[in-house]
Amino acid sequence: MDLSYEVKDSYAEIKAAGRLNMVSAPKLREFVADVVASGSSRIVVNLEDTAFMDSSGLGALIGCLKAARQAGGDLRIAAVQPQVKMVLELTSMDRVLTSYATADEAFGND
Amino acid sequence: MTDVLARRNFRSLATPECVDAVHSQLDDLWEDAPFVPDMDRMTFATAVIEAAANVVQHAEPESSDPVELGVDICIRQSSLRAKVSAFGAASPAIDDGDPAMPGEDAESGRGLALIRALVTTVTFTRQDGTNTWTLSRDPIGP
Repeated sequence: MDLSYEVKDSYAEIKAAGRLNMVSAPKLREFVADVVASGSSRIVVNLEDTAFMDSSGLGALIGCLKAARQAGGDLRIAAVQPQVKMVLELTSMDRVLTSYATADEAFGND
Repeated sequence: MTDVLARRNFRSLATPECVDAVHSQLDDLWEDAPFVPDMDRMTFATAVIEAAANVVQHAEPESSDPVELGVDICIRQSSLRAKVSAFGAASPAIDDGDPAMPGEDAESGRGLALIRALVTTVTFTRQDGTNTWTLSRDPIGP
């Protein structure tokens, strides 16, 4: 999985490309922790190029959400693809990890 | 019994990286089975990866030899089946009840419940030091 980030006006966008599974989940946790530690606690994880996520990947997103909230911010997800959407719905985590069509919309009304 | 239309077999030391290798085998498999609808590919592949990851994360070796992961995937016109095995593993703690999803803030513990939601049947057998989970999804629907 390739991870990159860009600080925008009101949030930091993290792009995650590849499979979010037990191999990449620890990398995502570490990456988000570093972004939060650098002062950005409003995070959008752009999942446009994440074609697959398993329960390890979902666990990492939940951990990252907690880290962002503990720092006074929030974590939202954008551009969710069909397999990721399926996993979120089957685990009912779509109610916790709010999904937006684009990264720009995620904090658009805040 | 209908004919096997596509098959892949994988066996390796149970390391996190081998889950990626299983995923590549699955991607490759669909090229031999283009008739399988996208929805079935997505659900079945997710269940197989969850089961393989479960072996890597939780299987304890029975002896001084490390656990090996085996994945045998078999596609027929009317069914998708995968045998996910932990070779050389100790007997796992079996919970016969339906696994429940953990609370919203839990960061683990959803794998088995997710597998059950994705496939038609899940069976577990233990024979000669090998734990095998057989996942079946059928019938293949549009």
